Amino acid sequence: MANKFTGIGSESKQLATWYFTFAAILLGAQLVFGLVAAIQYVMPGFLFELLDFSVARMLHINALVVWMVFAMFGSVYYLLPDETGIETVGIKVGKLLYWIFVAAIVVVVLVYLFIQVGPATETSIWFIHEGREYIEAPRWADWGIVVVALGFVGNLFLTGMKGNRSGIVTVLMADMIAFAGLYLAGMFFTDNITLDQYWWWWVIHLWVEATWEVFVGSIAAYGLIQMIGASRKVVEMWLWIEVAMLFGSGILGIGHHYFWIGTPEYWWEIGALFSALEPLPLVAMFIHVMYDWGKQQGKKVAGGSDESVVANKPAFVWFWMNAFGNFLGAGIWGFFHTLPQVNLYTHGTQFTSAHGHLAFFGAYATILIGMFYLAVQGSNGIKVLKHTKASIWSISLMVGGMLGMTMALTIAGYVQVLVSRAQMGATWAGYFDGQQGMWFAQAMDWRLIMGVVMFLGFALLAKDLLTTGKNPVHER
Amino acid sequence: MVEQVIMRQDIALDDFLTIFVSSGLVLVFGGLYVGIYTAVKVELLKTWTMPIAYIFWVLTAYCLYLMGSLMHVGEFTAKALVVAAFGILLLPHAVYYMQDQVHQQNEH
Repeated sequence: MANKFTGIGSESKQLATWYFTFAAILLGAQLVFGLVAAIQYVMPGFLFELLDFSVARMLHINALVVWMVFAMFGSVYYLLPDETGIETVGIKVGKLLYWIFVAAIVVVVLVYLFIQVGPATETSIWFIHEGREYIEAPRWADWGIVVVALGFVGNLFLTGMKGNRSGIVTVLMADMIAFAGLYLAGMFFTDNITLDQYWWWWVIHLWVEATWEVFVGSIAAYGLIQMIGASRKVVEMWLWIEVAMLFGSGILGIGHHYFWIGTPEYWWEIGALFSALEPLPLVAMFIHVMYDWGKQQGKKVAGGSDESVVANKPAFVWFWMNAFGNFLGAGIWGFFHTLPQVNLYTHGTQFTSAHGHLAFFGAYATILIGMFYLAVQGSNGIKVLKHTKASIWSISLMVGGMLGMTMALTIAGYVQVLVSRAQMGATWAGYFDGQQGMWFAQAMDWRLIMGVVMFLGFALLAKDLLTTGKNPVHER
Repeated sequence: MVEQVIMRQDIALDDFLTIFVSSGLVLVFGGLYVGIYTAVKVELLKTWTMPIAYIFWVLTAYCLYLMGSLMHVGEFTAKALVVAAFGILLLPHAVYYMQDQVHQQNEH
């Protein structure tokens, strides 16, 4: 529904590009700190006592979560005018909250970098970091994030209620309430580590394997309509089925995190059953993308044209990578070690890291990079955005680098399973013996090399995004 | 008070590689089954390739069986794996049927 709010002049789309820009900067930071941590596996003395592994890793994984949250907010602000037909309600508040969010993240990162550790009292929790993987932001920043998230959800709801409430917007409204609400489960401490971890997983698992996956379904639906002109009725019907399947398997799939943290044994059965079902919606999402593309392209061919139906080729490739990568990273690499009988040996090894890398990249980074391309197309008034050398090389290097890292980490994890766990029974000596073997050491070398390949891909991605507006190859 | 001890059968060292490979292949073969099935239905592949899709499903089910037996899964997990195997078999049919019905209703 083209109108004055959906074009270049849309304030909501402008805000979206701000969010995407900061997200891309944080993605770069994530890769840099990932490389530092990867070098430290190969050369343990690298930046010792300046930027220790614990700090580099914390910055690496927190930057991951934050850039994705920024890109998700940006995606919603980008699609709202198209879906609702009106400008986002409260856009001025949205812009103010954006700057508060950016300022808070910059301060948090500077504290992580230059202060690093606190006195291990309440002061640390409030002003340094909370010490919980992925969501280590200090409590003052936690409350800031809550305010920003409430403002964002408020804008989404007010716009959805005032404008045309499409199926995509309705799903996003419900999903973002859960997304924002679940963050609260990671904001309080209990003295019992089992209870503490129990609630912490509500944020991490229920975000990633429930609300984020539903978000991806919504974005994929929007992208298919925008890029290949897929039928809205078909896409939205399918979106509701995906929501049911994702929540149906994903919520109780949390059981696979409760195997060994001191929770009752019935979580073994619950975790095993629902984890086994978790790949099914991913398979279904894969079919969905293939079906819509096949049908739309088939119609064009039947009409006597051999032109592609795709209006934004780099974005479409990234969306396709998402359907495949979600299945590969979250599905296959997740299923490797999700059953308790195997997880007993793989838990906390590089297997987890291999799965984490490929799943976050395949399921989320891909589609969010696809949204960067949609935004670049929209903000430059491009009718058909074509591939460039930089876009092809960036996709190849980033995907190739990630697959290489995943293979290397899987081999390292396999060594740990055999040596540290199965042969030496998860002992202190076993932990070190597992990491001193040739296979583990070489796997870490390859992980670093592939990390550099991925970083080169990112550099080309940044170049391509920044030069798209002036590139004459695209149809206007 | 007598503590309840949960007995678990260890996985043989030589079985780890087979378990990891077979669990990976479950979804690789499953993906090929779903991919070929869908590609034939949307006419991206010739109809004669459909039996190949079902061969991949058989391989999927075999890998699930192999993985489950080497892991010494309990009765409940074994049932869950059977449900998953039949889920993979039925899913593309159900999804394609629903997609197609919606297309039919909206285009004719």
